[in-house]
Amino acid sequence: MINVEHLYKRFGKNEVLKDISIDIKQGEVVSVIGPSGSGKSTFLRCINLLETPTEGKISVAGVDLTDKNTNVTKAREKIGMVFQHFHLFPHLTVLENLTYAPLKVKRLSKAEAEEKALVLLDRVGLSDKKDSYPNSLSGGQKQRVAIARALAMEPDLMLFDEPTSALDPEMVKEVLDVMKDLAESGMTMLVVTHEMGFAREVADRVIFLDQGLLIEEGEPHAFFSQPKSERAKDFLDKIL
Amino acid sequence: MNLDWSQIVPYIPFMLEGIWVTLQFVIVSIVIGFIIGTVLALFKIGSMKPLRIFADFYTSMFRGTPLILQLMIIYLAVPQLTGYDISPFLSAILAFGLNSSAYVSEIIRAGISAVDKGQTEAAMALGVPYRQMMIDIILPQALKNILPALMNEFITLTKESAIVSTIGYLDLMRRGQVVGANLYRPFEPLLFIGLIYWGLVMVLSLMGKWVEGRLSKGD
Ligand SMILES: Nc1ncnc2c1ncn2[C@@H]1O[C@H](COP(=O)(O)OP(=O)(O)OP(=O)(O)O)[C@@H](O)[C@H]1O
Ligand SMILES: [Mg+2]
Repeated sequence: MINVEHLYKRFGKNEVLKDISIDIKQGEVVSVIGPSGSGKSTFLRCINLLETPTEGKISVAGVDLTDKNTNVTKAREKIGMVFQHFHLFPHLTVLENLTYAPLKVKRLSKAEAEEKALVLLDRVGLSDKKDSYPNSLSGGQKQRVAIARALAMEPDLMLFDEPTSALDPEMVKEVLDVMKDLAESGMTMLVVTHEMGFAREVADRVIFLDQGLLIEEGEPHAFFSQPKSERAKDFLDKIL
Repeated sequence: MNLDWSQIVPYIPFMLEGIWVTLQFVIVSIVIGFIIGTVLALFKIGSMKPLRIFADFYTSMFRGTPLILQLMIIYLAVPQLTGYDISPFLSAILAFGLNSSAYVSEIIRAGISAVDKGQTEAAMALGVPYRQMMIDIILPQALKNILPALMNEFITLTKESAIVSTIGYLDLMRRGQVVGANLYRPFEPLLFIGLIYWGLVMVLSLMGKWVEGRLSKGD
């Protein structure tokens, strides 16, 4: 599904990603963990080209995103993204947030887009909020709307960048539950998270980044109980 | 000081007609200024360097010279250079529209930059093309932020419109002067049109407040 080969990203002289290569299969849930500034967000943002890779090749669902002839805007339709700070469209209602891209990008009919949006809102448990504006929602509700908005484009792949980090503790679970449900439905997911519980229980694989290098990857239980590298050990000691 | 209002009574319809004359070119100028201003703002934040340079130069030129000079140049220089006998109305909407667009472009540019970058990223991540994103996501949010500044610009334009009287356009201002000259009493007619300008500006402000209220749904 995702194929990354020798990915490098530099901001000026600052080399943020160094020679990252990874394959992610369809339906796989991969957690990306690592210390602050290690390049987790940058890695994720390279996958839908919110950041342009300096070197290397990225393909998603068979489309080479780093090829100059690829229509990036088109390719992004199939890659959902959920941000730490939600970024819902504040001037649109919850329902309009969900139907906007399907209407304007996929050119669905209004009836069809709304029907699908209502199914998704039901799935994230927010049917009663369809006519509310984002600013009247709690953080957890906003994030669930944001997930539904991304799903409305029927993506092949979902990227999550610390989706629960901006939430009050009591709201973390409602969002994680939605993500868990999504993982069980077979969605391919790449999740940057500090929620080790989620990484352990839901992820099929954990990858550990430090200073732009992919240091270690593995099955979550093995990784958390017996990390192979010193750096991963240090990191886990600090946070667990 | 003794005011005699009775003398201007016969001239009141003549002066009131000036409201429409003034409004006509103020409205056209605002529309022109807004459209060109939006385009210039998009040039300024866009990735095409020549367009950016052009927009910056344009703004600097129109903000850096007196409006009355711009009006005179258009009204007098166009016929001299091209032989086309430009009407006061056309000169006025050109001068005011082009001038206003320089100010409007700065206001809109600032408004666009103030919209959270996350909005752009969210739209991009959904596969929304740039143009569509600007129109549906970024500009509506920018407009809401800049409405007070925009209203201010329209109010300024309405008041400054009085300088078209210098090229003989029979606007509100000019009519006040004409009546004053006829009566040998300039004070009452000027006071009268002053009240009208004030009223116009009040109406504009109220309209601005109303639009602001409509746009602030979602807060
Ligand atoms: N747009 C940018 N311009 C310049 N440098 C950047 C940019 N984005 C990120 N960086 C730098 O890249 C490095 C990695 O940042 P990144 O946000 O990917 O880290 P992260 O692992 O997501 O950290 P965190 O856990 O704090 O979110 C940092 O040193 C950061 O300063
Ligand atoms: Mg990050």
